[in-house]
Amino acid sequence: MEDVQVVAMLVRRCIAGDSAAWEEIVQTYSRRIYNICYRFAGSGDDAQDLTQEVFIKMYRTLPSYDHTKGAFVTWVTTITRNLLVDHFRKSKQDRMTDSIDTAASDHEDAQPLSEQIPDPSARPDAHVRSREVGETVHAALGRLSPELREAVILRDLQDMDYREIATVLKVPEGTVKSRINRGRAELARLLQRTYRQVM
Amino acid sequence: MPDQTSKGMQCNEFELLLSDAIDGVLSGNGLDRFQAHAQVCRTCGPLLAEAEAGRNWLKGLTEVEPPASLLTNILVSTTGVDTQRLRVNERTLQPRISWWERVQASLFDGLLAPVWGIIRQPRFAMSFGMAFFALSVGLTVAGVKPADLREVSLRPKAIQQAYFHTQARVVHYYENIRVVYEVQARLREVKRNLAPAESGVKPARPAKQKDDKNDTTQQPEQNQERNYSQIENDLILASAPVGPSPSVIDASNHDASNRDASSPDLPVVSVTTDRRFV
Repeated sequence: MEDVQVVAMLVRRCIAGDSAAWEEIVQTYSRRIYNICYRFAGSGDDAQDLTQEVFIKMYRTLPSYDHTKGAFVTWVTTITRNLLVDHFRKSKQDRMTDSIDTAASDHEDAQPLSEQIPDPSARPDAHVRSREVGETVHAALGRLSPELREAVILRDLQDMDYREIATVLKVPEGTVKSRINRGRAELARLLQRTYRQVM
Repeated sequence: MPDQTSKGMQCNEFELLLSDAIDGVLSGNGLDRFQAHAQVCRTCGPLLAEAEAGRNWLKGLTEVEPPASLLTNILVSTTGVDTQRLRVNERTLQPRISWWERVQASLFDGLLAPVWGIIRQPRFAMSFGMAFFALSVGLTVAGVKPADLREVSLRPKAIQQAYFHTQARVVHYYENIRVVYEVQARLREVKRNLAPAESGVKPARPAKQKDDKNDTTQQPEQNQERNYSQIENDLILASAPVGPSPSVIDASNHDASNRDASSPDLPVVSVTTDRRFV
């Protein structure tokens, strides 16, 4: 994923005050971090704020990075994950796996997820349908518990291997695999029930 | 999850191999045992199907495009500058900056930054607009036309000349006014000197009457006009003449036999009337 020596050189230049090196780091990793934040937080605005916070924290703690201990992307993802967990605890968005028929918001008039999902067969446009399916999966992903959600995001969306995920999450690889399996199965159950009700 | 055993594989072992099987790294005898267990186990079979379906759903999610401003915001929030490249581009694209523009930039961005910030507020702009409107209306009412300002010469010599010209006009006006006041003072003095000579013909009124509000000697116009409305309600006393008129004599003679003959003089008759004399 990254050339260790190149990234180490980039980090050294950045620590020395080279703003161009920092700009290169930001350009390289901002998209990845934004996607992790977006899939975990659920909204674009939160993802943008969280991404900025991640880079601010990274900028301040950059001298603490040791390339001999792990890849830079793992270090960056660890910072992101820790900040996301902090954000989750602060906002108290305890999105444990809920019933598909429970409302997404606390408002009593809010529609349950199954009613928010439009009928896929009613849309002839494949592109629109694909986008709506993506939004449905994204909404279902937000209903997973944080432990399962972060595991499947890092594995299936960020293509990280189990060892890196274990490093980021600070849990054994077996636990990582178990969480990924449970997360995938829970997501499938949610979506299955959704489409069964729609169809 | 019940710990079942089928064809030599337990459910906990199946769960451990589940990720590898889905990732496609499981092969050989392990894969056969895994698939056999999935077919017979009522718990692990659906779990495999659900995990595969969930993975496929997640793989179908496309990467989200971050906002265009994200990169700039990150750089601004961390280093305080947009980008080196952008600054270089701005430097190359910008034409030569004159010294006046630099002075303006240093004033507005440095010294006058707080004041300039207040001026740029909409509230201040509204107040300035109202003041300008009031000034323009005032100048229009006063008859000042902007076209007249074009003829005004702003050369130092012209300004100096206009200043002295205005000063001379003011001095002349003052002198003229002074002459008028002096003439008026002299005339008043002459009148005052002539006043004792006239006092013999026309006696001076008592001091008490001078202070009277009804003294109209200083108001000749009002004195000439008789305001009958002021005396409208005054009583008019009419009396017969002392000597008898012929008609009265006739009447007196005619009635003498009927009346008391012992009264030789006619009685005085007083009549009061409210009739207005015009």
